[in-house]
Order: sequence, then C-alpha cells, then structure tokens
Amino acid sequence: MKRFIVAFIAAFIFIFFWGWLYNGVLLKDVLTEAQSLFRPREETMGLFHWIVIGQAGLALAFVMIYASGFAGGGIAAGVRLGIMLEILAVGARCIIYATQPFPVKLLVLVSIGGFIEMIVTGVIVGAIYKPAPPRMP
Amino acid sequence: MNWKKFFIAFIVAFVFLFAFGFLWYGKLMHGAHQEVPTLWRTEAEFGNHFPWLVLGHLVMAFFLTMLYAQFVRAGGAGAGATLGILVALVYAGADLITFAVQPLTTKILGGWIVGDLIQFAIAGAIIGAIYKPSSLKTT
Repeated sequence: MKRFIVAFIAAFIFIFFWGWLYNGVLLKDVLTEAQSLFRPREETMGLFHWIVIGQAGLALAFVMIYASGFAGGGIAAGVRLGIMLEILAVGARCIIYATQPFPVKLLVLVSIGGFIEMIVTGVIVGAIYKPAPPRMP
Repeated sequence: MNWKKFFIAFIVAFVFLFAFGFLWYGKLMHGAHQEVPTLWRTEAEFGNHFPWLVLGHLVMAFFLTMLYAQFVRAGGAGAGATLGILVALVYAGADLITFAVQPLTTKILGGWIVGDLIQFAIAGAIIGAIYKPSSLKTT
C-alpha cells in the first residue's frame, strides 16, 4: 500500500508539471488558434481545481490498473500500459475530431504530448510500485 | 494469445461501443450538447468527418480488448468490467480537465462521466465473457 501511494503521488506530480509545461507553455500559441473552442483564460483559472482533480484521478486510475494486472513487470510493463492507455485516448480524440472543429495540428501535438506523458508515467509507476511478496504459510 | 476469441471479442465490443455512443452521446445527450452549439461541427461537417468517428471506436475497442487479453487474460465478465471501470476513470479524469478548459455545462460533464463508466464497464464485461486464453497445456 505504501508503494501504491508513493507511485500515485509521483505520477500525479509528473502529470501536473508536464501538463503545465506542454499544454500551458509549449502549446500556448497553437491552442490560441482554436480559442473559440476554449474558455477565456480567467474562466479556466477559476476552474483550475478541476484540472488538478482530473489529473489526480488519471494518476490514480493508472496506478490502479498497473497494480491490478501489470505489477511485477517493472518499468517495461509500465511503459506498455502507458502506450496502450494513450492509444485509447487517441481513439477518443478521433471521435472528438469528428464532432468538434479542432485543427488537426492541435490534436496531433496533444497526442504526441500524451504519449510522452503516459510513457514517462509508466516508467515512474513501474519503477516505484512492487507487488507485496507472497505470505508464507 | 487466442486470436480467434480476441477477434470476436473486439468486433462485439466495437459494435456495442458504437451503438452505445450513438444512443447515449448522440441521442440522449443531444439536447445538452445543443446548449453550447458553437463547440460542435454542423450536421454536414459531421457527415464529412464520420469515418473518424468509426475509426475512433475501432481503436478504442481494439486496445481495450488488447489490454484485457494481455494483462487480465482470464476472470470472465467480472474482471473485464473491473478493467473497464478503471479505464473509464482515466477518461473521467480527462473529462474533468476538458470541463476546465472548454465551455461545457455541468450537465454535459456529468453525462460524459456516467456514459464513460457504463460504456466501458459493459464493454469490459463483454470482452471478459468472450475472450478466453488459449487452452493451458497440461503435463
């Protein structure tokens, strides 16, 4: 349980800072091109707690999936889980592209950032979380 | 990997995900979505982008099945539903972030999260009920 909590906190901290760096700083100009689809900056800042809760939920779900089926595989299993979850997210982005007028460039760049985010999260979780050793009778 | 069972599970999961998405997001939530019409493509534009909708569902069904087959393998519908709920929580996290940056209503946010949970729990259960690993060798 201790390693579960440490893995969750480490994954959350990485996802939070990566989200800020990639989406908030590096993609700032690209996001501005689709400004009509986003809230004004001040409004988003007023809802910032939802970003934090969403990222915490994402990190928690990642560690729970890893612990329930991938644990024991180490970093490689964490990376594989991260890649699979991001491909699932790319599927969702295809649906978003069909229904919302986002520029292709933005969705491609968000997906690249998503792959980096999920692979590194997999490395972190795979390196930290270890299943409890079996109890001797 | 039992490819025959994998393929059947993937196809059935795809049909379910697509049908559920049409009913839940396309029909039941249509009114809620129309409260923010500027966020969506027009009907004609949506028609032109329809293949992306199909592709998105194919990708989700394929990799949900892959996730189950590689890392859960056995356990049946219950284990599949559990995996589906955990995957839905990943999507729910993304929905909350989207709510903070896009002008969605709380009704849309709630509908998306509940929809994700139902959709992936059932899709996972379907995959778990259909997919069985190749028969174990006995000594």
